[in-house]
Amino acid sequence: MTGRILWALIAVAAAASLGVVAQSHGEPVNSTWLVVAAVCTYLIGYRFYAGFIAAKVMALDNRATPAERLRDGHDYEPTNKWIVFGHHFAAIAGPGPLVGPTLAAQFGYLPGFLWIVIGCVLGGAIQDFVVLFCSIRRDGKSLGQMAREEIGKVGGFIALITVLLIMVILLAVIGLVVVNTLKGSPWGTFTIAATMPIAIFMGLYLRYWRPGKVLEASLIGFVFLMGAIFGGQAVNNSPSLSAWFTYSGPALAFALILYGFFASALPVWLLLAPRDYLSTFVKLGVVLLLGLGVVLLRPQLEMPPLTRFIDGTGPIFAGKIFPFCFITIACGAVSGFHALISSGTTPKLLARERHAHGVGYGSMLLESFVAVMALIAASSLQPGVYFAVNSPAGIVGATPAAAVATIGNWGFPVTTEQMSSLATSVGEQSLFNRTGGAPSLALGMARLFARTGGGQALMAFWYHFAIMFEVLFILTTLDAGTRVGRFMLQDLLGHVSPKLGQTNWMPGMLGTSAIVVAAWGYFLYNGVIDPLGGINTLWPLFGIANQLLAAVALCVGTTILIKMHGARYMWITCVPLAWLVLVCFTAGWQKIFSPLPAIGFLAQADAVAAAKQTATSATVIFNARLDAAVTGVFLILVALILIDSIRVWIGILGGSRPSTTTETPFVATQLVEEA
Amino acid sequence: MKLHIMNLWREILQNFRGILAELSDQNAYQRYLVAHGQAASPEAWREFQDHHWQAKSRRGRCC
Repeated sequence: MTGRILWALIAVAAAASLGVVAQSHGEPVNSTWLVVAAVCTYLIGYRFYAGFIAAKVMALDNRATPAERLRDGHDYEPTNKWIVFGHHFAAIAGPGPLVGPTLAAQFGYLPGFLWIVIGCVLGGAIQDFVVLFCSIRRDGKSLGQMAREEIGKVGGFIALITVLLIMVILLAVIGLVVVNTLKGSPWGTFTIAATMPIAIFMGLYLRYWRPGKVLEASLIGFVFLMGAIFGGQAVNNSPSLSAWFTYSGPALAFALILYGFFASALPVWLLLAPRDYLSTFVKLGVVLLLGLGVVLLRPQLEMPPLTRFIDGTGPIFAGKIFPFCFITIACGAVSGFHALISSGTTPKLLARERHAHGVGYGSMLLESFVAVMALIAASSLQPGVYFAVNSPAGIVGATPAAAVATIGNWGFPVTTEQMSSLATSVGEQSLFNRTGGAPSLALGMARLFARTGGGQALMAFWYHFAIMFEVLFILTTLDAGTRVGRFMLQDLLGHVSPKLGQTNWMPGMLGTSAIVVAAWGYFLYNGVIDPLGGINTLWPLFGIANQLLAAVALCVGTTILIKMHGARYMWITCVPLAWLVLVCFTAGWQKIFSPLPAIGFLAQADAVAAAKQTATSATVIFNARLDAAVTGVFLILVALILIDSIRVWIGILGGSRPSTTTETPFVATQLVEEA
Repeated sequence: MKLHIMNLWREILQNFRGILAELSDQNAYQRYLVAHGQAASPEAWREFQDHHWQAKSRRGRCC
């Protein structure tokens, strides 16, 4: 009885908070309402919806998991559920849930907030949970292997190609976020440049001086990182030194491309491994700090619930709420990439099947909560400041005076003095046109952190601490992603020539590294020279690709649910799948064929061709057409998987195809239950 | 009640340390040593590191 009353109170709190959030007009809303609405909705989703799926649909039982049956002391090892939860969360949490909601705040905080919470509970967390369950019942197989076995060889091959293409766009867009964050910022550039020798020092420390002392090396690395932030301040204050660390966007793009190549080709223990350790600990610490900051300080949201840009004329990215809010939020609500972690890695650690409920579904709820925190941090900025930082010069004007005039005309007052004072307070020369989301998120975080300690005096430190955190985090994804892309390419080329598939063959390794780096570097460079800031083009492309990968994962999940229960429970994965297909195909179609140059790639190419030709016109036209082609390829690939899946579903449900499952037979667990 | 709270804190601390040990590969290293019947040594760590990261660096990364 007490339990029922408690759940009824949680439901009432969720409804009341959502009501306050949705009904607020004109007056600033306290972020507490968003936090309460999100947490209560997560609790209800976890307890009732995911609980129902775990009990009735998956029928999680006491069978031995792959971790127990195939225990080998390496990959397969039954592990405490909280430890697996921490491990899984650290693996799925990337920069996407921080950047996406920050960009989507241009519509106001309400659309993004609702999609982050509802999309996660009914879509993203379901995808992670179902894929994890499917993989556990199949010895920890990967998404690609499951697609091949459950749908067919075509589906499996297309899934592999799709992942590789998505990886290229992902690396380009996160690289662009780094470039836009660091250009013209000697403090930020010095701090990030210093992380490389710090990581190499840690690598040598762990390899030769104190082998295996990862926590010790990470602590030393963290102390050096703090030193690098203060060193960056000294560099910023010195005219001669700051000149050494002030770079343009294209120069930073080339530096990043070079870095990506070396990170992929160097021994993994020297750079990638130590950076990964450091980034993981910093990431978890900052996420915790951000959560505490929002919960304890309860900032007011200065951004209105809805802005005028819901009509599709937004300066940060063009397009209406539907479908572009959903595409932009991406990982904070649904992330196709999580399916790669939920299959293959985590299932090999779960000691009990029922732990999948907390690990698969619960971890995604936490990621969604991180996205809510990022949205709150961005929305707590004054809207004029938010738009001044995030709008490209091509939209608002190249001079501060032009930018504040344009933004003021939109109804978001901001002054050049205000922006100048803000830039000085965080140790930057200018905060105008810093597109990509990272600088505005860092501003929001710095304001929160400064209120918890140090006040305005430490604002610059906290801003650069947040920048360091975001960029370190992104570079870890960038170097690891380049390496993963290289392995995937070598796997593919290995079918053509076995020699090319050998990962220890130096020419093959260097060649494939160069191809992967050149592929994302090309998109990165073109994003950097894009007069509209690049994010306008690349982030929607990445969002479409990521959500399409989720559609592939949900196709696999639906196929398995149909094989288990017929049509009875297929709605669980079919509803989010149908929504994602609708969103992605609408967005993809608009990005290719919209007659508005701000949205449609082909229209943009035509508009540039019709205008007065400049030195970059031909490049812009070619790139717009290339982006249209890439979007088209994504849509065709996923349409093929979808058609292949539907063919399989109709066959099974119509009785013309056997519903044979590749599930591993039941074996009772021998493990003793943990206390 | 006080004992219950202390046990709860102890459990939270243990899990926190466990997560740190898992994220820093300390647990994976211990498992590797047991599986290979080796004692901890600089050479064993380097072997483990090469083996562990060869597999880890092939896995997809989230965004």
